[in-house]
Amino acid sequence: MSLPEPDNDELEALLARCASQDSRALEDLYKKVVPQLLAVLLRLLRTRDRAEDALQDVFVRIWRQAGQYEARRGWVLAWLVSIARYRAIDLQRSQKQSVPLDAIEEPAVPAVRPESSLTQRSLERCLELLSGDQRHCLVLAYQQGLTQDLIAATTGHPLGTVKSGARRALLSLRRCLES
Amino acid sequence: MNYQQPDLLDQLTGAYVLGRLRGRARARFERRYAQSAVVRAARHRWEDDFMPLLPSLEPVMPSERVWTEIASRIRHIENPPQSSRRSTRPWRWALAGMLALSLLVGVSIGLLYPPLQAVQSDPPKAYELSAVPRNGQAPVSLGLLPRNLTIQRALSAAQRAALLGANRLAVSLEPLGGSKTGHATGPVLYVADVSSAG
Repeated sequence: MSLPEPDNDELEALLARCASQDSRALEDLYKKVVPQLLAVLLRLLRTRDRAEDALQDVFVRIWRQAGQYEARRGWVLAWLVSIARYRAIDLQRSQKQSVPLDAIEEPAVPAVRPESSLTQRSLERCLELLSGDQRHCLVLAYQQGLTQDLIAATTGHPLGTVKSGARRALLSLRRCLES
Repeated sequence: MNYQQPDLLDQLTGAYVLGRLRGRARARFERRYAQSAVVRAARHRWEDDFMPLLPSLEPVMPSERVWTEIASRIRHIENPPQSSRRSTRPWRWALAGMLALSLLVGVSIGLLYPPLQAVQSDPPKAYELSAVPRNGQAPVSLGLLPRNLTIQRALSAAQRAALLGANRLAVSLEPLGGSKTGHATGPVLYVADVSSAG
């Protein structure tokens, strides 16, 4: 099942109404983006209960911070996803969440698709420039919040190698995205 | 330092967005994020760039109770029990970016605690003001209070945000130059409840 990408202008308008305390706008926003945000949280927090609890925190935070969204950024969904991810990372830390090694799912790596948006194609193209391991680590970190220790443990690579690979990967990615 | 060199800033910021920074490094990054437009721009760039990884995840519908809980929590924010009508932004001057707390802080601290210069302390100490968010997140430093306890300063966007999201202001006693960790390390001397529109 895939949902149509919510229109960025629509999301901005809804956020502006949220900033004016229009709770109906938050409900509309919720309907548009919650399936994706819950997917993000589930990947990071693993259980439905924890993900749904975090989801409440995330929307309350969105409600409080709606007035702070900087319109020039242009990606409301990226802002919403970031709120969700940082909340989940905080919970992972405070709950000292441990992940059984066999529960780590394969990362959902975006395949290069002709119908992808320009931004999507840029990321896909630039990810292709990384080694398989670097790409794997980066996507696992973003989607599942996996720490480098855990990635080292599952891949069998020394932690030092994982870390320096990760630093090079970020540098390479940034340079490619800017070109 | 790392934050000045673009390549290292990108690596640090990317690491933060990926959830790789821990403990002190993470706290330090969050402080720099609050203080620096360059750091904010770098983080936002990574957040936007990584966004396409999102559609690969299968969307999941939440249970009905999630919205019910959210609706009830935001109702509470809109209509806090201690006021019968919505307050109209007493922090309007904070929106203008200026923080003038001399009356609140100066009078209160003057009444409750000796003037700082009368305090013998070695190593030397300073009062640091923080906004305490009502969502339970870590306090955000709004800056050091000078010796006469009168403060008037422009706040960064993140500090204004923290002030608007705070239900308390706190003053803690820190080493001269302020807390190095971004959080109160010394005793919290004074806490003021703040009411705002939420």
